[in-house]
Amino acid sequence: MMVAPILEMKNVSKHFGVTAALSDVSFEMFPGEIHALVGENGAGKSTLIKAMTGIHQPSSGEIWVDGSARILRTTQEAQVIGITAIYQEPMVFPDLDVAENIFINHHSRSQFILWNDMYEEAEAVIAKLGVSLDVRRPASTLTLAEQQTVEIARAISLDVRVLIMDEPSASLSDNEVQRLFSIARSLSSQGVAVLYISHRLEEIFALADRVTVMRDGTHISTKVIDDVTNESLVTEMVGRDMEGRFARKPSTATGEDMLTVQGLSKNGVFSDISFSVEKGEIVCFSGLVGARRTDVALALFGIDPANSGKVSIDGVVAKISSPKDAQELGIAYVSEDRRKFGIAMDESITSNITLPMMNKYSNSVGLIDFDAESRDAIEFRMRLNIKAADLVSPVGALSGGNQQKVMLAKWLNTAPRLLIVDEPTRGIDIGAKAEVHQILHELAAEGVAIMIISSDLPEVLSLADRIIVMREGRIAGEFIGDIATEGNVMHLAVGAGVQMEFA
Amino acid sequence: MSTENFTSRIVKALNSWEGFLLLVLVLLFVGNTINSPFFFTLNNQINLFQLSIEKVIVAVIMTFVIINAEIDLSVASIMGFAACLFGWLFQSGVSASGAVVIVLAAGAILGAFNAFWIAWVGIPSLVVTLATMIAFRGFARVLVEDRGITGFPDWFDKLGQAPLVGPIPLSILVFFVLVFFFYIVLQRTVFGRQVYFIGSNRDVAEYSGINVRGVQAIIFTLSGLISALAGLLFAARLGAVRGDAALGFELDIITIVLLGGVSIFGGRGTMVGTLLAILIVLNLRNGMALANITGHIQTGVLGILLILSVMVPNIQEWIKKLRKLGKGTVE
Repeated sequence: MMVAPILEMKNVSKHFGVTAALSDVSFEMFPGEIHALVGENGAGKSTLIKAMTGIHQPSSGEIWVDGSARILRTTQEAQVIGITAIYQEPMVFPDLDVAENIFINHHSRSQFILWNDMYEEAEAVIAKLGVSLDVRRPASTLTLAEQQTVEIARAISLDVRVLIMDEPSASLSDNEVQRLFSIARSLSSQGVAVLYISHRLEEIFALADRVTVMRDGTHISTKVIDDVTNESLVTEMVGRDMEGRFARKPSTATGEDMLTVQGLSKNGVFSDISFSVEKGEIVCFSGLVGARRTDVALALFGIDPANSGKVSIDGVVAKISSPKDAQELGIAYVSEDRRKFGIAMDESITSNITLPMMNKYSNSVGLIDFDAESRDAIEFRMRLNIKAADLVSPVGALSGGNQQKVMLAKWLNTAPRLLIVDEPTRGIDIGAKAEVHQILHELAAEGVAIMIISSDLPEVLSLADRIIVMREGRIAGEFIGDIATEGNVMHLAVGAGVQMEFA
Repeated sequence: MSTENFTSRIVKALNSWEGFLLLVLVLLFVGNTINSPFFFTLNNQINLFQLSIEKVIVAVIMTFVIINAEIDLSVASIMGFAACLFGWLFQSGVSASGAVVIVLAAGAILGAFNAFWIAWVGIPSLVVTLATMIAFRGFARVLVEDRGITGFPDWFDKLGQAPLVGPIPLSILVFFVLVFFFYIVLQRTVFGRQVYFIGSNRDVAEYSGINVRGVQAIIFTLSGLISALAGLLFAARLGAVRGDAALGFELDIITIVLLGGVSIFGGRGTMVGTLLAILIVLNLRNGMALANITGHIQTGVLGILLILSVMVPNIQEWIKKLRKLGKGTVE
């Protein structure tokens, strides 16, 4: 292939504070190729895309377009050069029609909108994609796949040369995925370079010419698709060095079921979820983004109850329709999204910790016993080693790891018997992570049933007594913690179709 | 306590919004006292309170509404409706004491009506109370039309004007009792804590098992009840009701609360702040009146003060954000 590359990433690094999201990533894209990008959650794919589209500026390294270095300060600048990204959730204006959406960021040649010209041009652009779509339909009436088509059409109308598709198939049906593929192929035949990101390996083998693997913010390999196999891709995706792994501890499971879930289903979200968690057992839920693990947790915690299925606590069927119900049954849910659902950043550390348990700190008319509150807060500060100058400051003033501990303290204070923790260590440093793991082990030893949702495979492998793998709203399989490996969990999570090792 | 510690505590207190308001209030007192010998007399202080007593009573409950990250634009219409309903009932032959009870109940019902749409149906309070502001005012005008109603019993008129305890009339007593009661509720009870958390982050409150709808329903119902009470006091003070009673008061009430440091985005503010803002607004107006500054200019000065009050927390916020940006954040 002697064609010159359109886009070259040259030793691109991106740091956020001390964290390196990308380090020294280099690869190139040629006109007319479909280039797949794969990697685990947190491998740096999103940061890479953001660097390519002008959302982030690299801390070091260069982005070359057509053989010369370019600095992309905004998405507009990237678009002018011909680099555009579309995402899993299409960004369209629901009240505007298809044509208006396509030409939304075009600067009109005259001061007025020439409606007839616009519709004609829109039809021409849509035709280029080889699909049919009424350009006068409002975007709100389109399916997700059609909205994506509109986004792609918008990119083409801006003379796209590098089209980045970030998990475009995640919410599409099989037919829609096929249509997306044919659009991608027709674009590549017109000389557009397509960067295709997906967790589904079978899609990559069906579509891509070349594939790049990323892991932990670094570029691992770029190969022609014929030179890789399912096996080799998975190995490259997960094969991180083993030094950082935390040692496994012996299980404290008691053999006595605390939680039993049978046939839990929620229309269009998850279906037929059955599992149990013993007292003192740590069960980890593994899976990719979109596997619907959090939705199962939200159903168990009463925030978004399931449509059907049975949940039993200590062998007694429980009806959980609000977080209050769940709390009364001894269930606590530590959210993955600290800012949104976990703690109120502007409120004090103490009041966040005591919030779900205010009855414990008040008399019959509701007057708060501030001393009792602060006594317990001080105790949690010691127990969880929360580094805070004082406990009346807002939680927002603490570091991420300490905020995480405050959130954990808040739920530990409810004395849960089933603790559900969603991504317990995401975005916190290694020291705090070890501390959080230690706390979870201690709780299990005290007989608390623990359910952990984590996308961090080494974490799952070091903590779990049992690993339940979910994929696309279903349980794909289950492993005993001791014998699971990153490879076989990952295989199950991506549905790579290798032999499942059921425990 | 060492003096150093003491000074640093004072500096810290002045650094807070309430501290700043206190400073402004002290300056106002000093300036007004120097300017006019009449200012610092009990009669004048009672008088300045009485002229705006209905508004400041409602400001107490509005503090809850706004900390909860909601708004209630219908308060003045409920005040007007309450006054008119009282007049209409009285004219229709209901005893004045019976009418008082009915009016208070009606206020609570109107508040609960707001609460239904906001808490259960989930329509933004801005929209709901904008609509009911218009509707309730309409009810008031239908009841009393354009003519006024007067001739209430002596005891009722006296409630608004006559001294009750020493030289202090009932309405001012009601105000201070309410301020104290709601200070306790907001700052020292579980309910108050829940109000802050809902305003600060509704999802966190919900995930923590707080009955968000219940808390909101209570606040809006109380808002209706207290607005009706204020409407009654208004009728008593003027000895007459008209369809346009208390027209436009909601804006004065909301601005007092914002001046008190309550964030329009919810979650922040204190009852002490609202009380200080009330005292500042009343004393500023009174002082200017004593200095023969016309009403229009008074209004202008208040406007500037309110703009400042909204800007100062914003400026603090901007500085915070700029600092955060400087540090960079991890995704």
